[in-house]
Amino acid sequence: MTPKQRIRASIDHQEPDKLPIDFGSSGLTSFHCSVVEQLRDHYKLEKRPVTICEPYQMLGEVDEDLLNVMGIDAQAVPSHANMFGFANENWKPWTTPWDQNVLVPERFNTTSDNTGNIYIYPQGDTDAPASGRMPKTSYFFDSIERLDPDFDEDDLNLEDNLEEFGPMSQAEETHWVEQAAKWRGCERAVTAGLSGTGLGDIALVPAPFLKNPKGVRGVADWYMLSAEEPEFLQGLFDRQTEIALQNIAKVHKIVGDVIDVVMICGTDFGTQNSLFCGVPQVRDIWLPRYKQINEWIHQNTSWRTFKHSCGAVEPLIETFIDCGFDILNPVQCSANGMEPEGLKANYGDRITFWGGGVNTQQTLPFGTPEQVREEVLSRCEIFAPGGGFVFNAIHNVQARTPVENVVAMIDAVHEYNGDK
Amino acid sequence: MNESLNQLTAAIKAGKRKIARSATAEALEAGLSPQSVLDALTEGMNDVGKRFKANEIFVPEVLVAARAMQKSMDLLEPILIASGIEPKFSIVIGTVEGDLHDIGKNLVTMMLKGANFKVIDLGVNVTAETFANAVNEHNPNVVGLSALLTTTMPAMESIVSELNKLNAPFKIMVGGAPITQEFAEQIGADGYSPDAASAVELAQKLCA
Repeated sequence: MTPKQRIRASIDHQEPDKLPIDFGSSGLTSFHCSVVEQLRDHYKLEKRPVTICEPYQMLGEVDEDLLNVMGIDAQAVPSHANMFGFANENWKPWTTPWDQNVLVPERFNTTSDNTGNIYIYPQGDTDAPASGRMPKTSYFFDSIERLDPDFDEDDLNLEDNLEEFGPMSQAEETHWVEQAAKWRGCERAVTAGLSGTGLGDIALVPAPFLKNPKGVRGVADWYMLSAEEPEFLQGLFDRQTEIALQNIAKVHKIVGDVIDVVMICGTDFGTQNSLFCGVPQVRDIWLPRYKQINEWIHQNTSWRTFKHSCGAVEPLIETFIDCGFDILNPVQCSANGMEPEGLKANYGDRITFWGGGVNTQQTLPFGTPEQVREEVLSRCEIFAPGGGFVFNAIHNVQARTPVENVVAMIDAVHEYNGDK
Repeated sequence: MNESLNQLTAAIKAGKRKIARSATAEALEAGLSPQSVLDALTEGMNDVGKRFKANEIFVPEVLVAARAMQKSMDLLEPILIASGIEPKFSIVIGTVEGDLHDIGKNLVTMMLKGANFKVIDLGVNVTAETFANAVNEHNPNVVGLSALLTTTMPAMESIVSELNKLNAPFKIMVGGAPITQEFAEQIGADGYSPDAASAVELAQKLCA
């Protein structure tokens, strides 16, 4: 089987010849740039600065040579613009606060204050208020909440929160044309993010890509909407879905079946211990819109759809299946009620688990290589039989994770596959 | 119980901020004691905490309840101060250095205020030095540390270590997604809580 066939078979719940592996296919399934550098050193690959493919989380590009040496089955289509609203192009050197030399896009413009905080700007425009901040001891950016001075919680205006959603630009269309040409015939399963289908993704609410965001842009204010203003969210998501479907049709016309998997939405519905939002609210506010998107894709394309939600979302998996999602990520087995055996037994033949391979909160950063190996082998034994599993850690591998543990994780999957 | 106080408790439970404010104003205008208004408010938040812990309600409902509580407190607080009614216990709280995440810490803060703690919130990205200065200034009963990231767990450890060197009779509690009871014990904290409602119970226990 080719890597592409392997992943497609697994998503369709047929056990492939080998368990497929993903690292680097999205901003949710990758490595912090410091880990990429250590991995390149470990595998004795050419020494060169790591390219920052996603500046918000400071994720490092997993280049072809690293994909090959680790035996990765998925290939990312880079997005047209990043979280700060500028294109990943015209690379320039930058030194991180942890003294790593990396390559960042031309419009990655930063300033710092006297306490060492680093600020980054929407669309690279340093005349606009900064939209991201990285403290000197941190390893990535977080959004700065720039609250709309005219915001009135008693007079919400749908249009304010729709600014970032609109018909695909010419530049984006050109990007898709180029990417389609680049990845046609790729042996790996090709994954891509669709813009505008993230319904209420909390990372996108503060809109670090907009210069002067209007409307509800505070994280707490946004969360309160699902309790207080469900009609507002329903109306907003209806409009967003309508726009997204038009854009998806355009993307499909350009890329066709070059793409295998599309990332639909990263909205987190779970905390470490429970849900962020009750099941009835998710079914009222989100389900009908997700269903519309998934149905269009399944009726018109050969793509498979990917839903990300961290946390203790076991009570919602049935809802995700009802929404029509093919894939769930990151499968946070460390959260309440997310024990792998139960997930596989109850849902494993109806949704694919893309993730769940190792605990990135405890075992991977703080365990021994042997503990990592044991956990990975155990997860593979539980999740892999019958397909419906693509190996990935639970979310991105974080900075400060010992490289020997990351290597132990990769080695253990190959051991499970009988390749080591 | 007085009708406006019942209304206030119900408004907090349901997160109705405008009713919470008007019921508070009504109660105070009717000459009810500020302590009785505070008790009605605490009763409402106590119920919210219980239902949150039991997974009957979730973060959005707690946030709207806390906002309703704040609308009531805006009117009540100056009167409490003027009457010399002060919270019995105080806590200094913050998200540790390198970490900018505050939803969890803010939930704990709101619930503690609802349980009538005096809360000194130092915000996010808080250094050991800032925590120590706040301890010296406010002499709290408890210091609460939050971390969301595995990369900031070492900062939590070093801050707890620095705070434990201070010669003051406060307790330290910690929380956040990757934090566990085992980690709390390992770094020398006095307590760990997995959620905001349990954090209030833990803080009360540490103050007892």
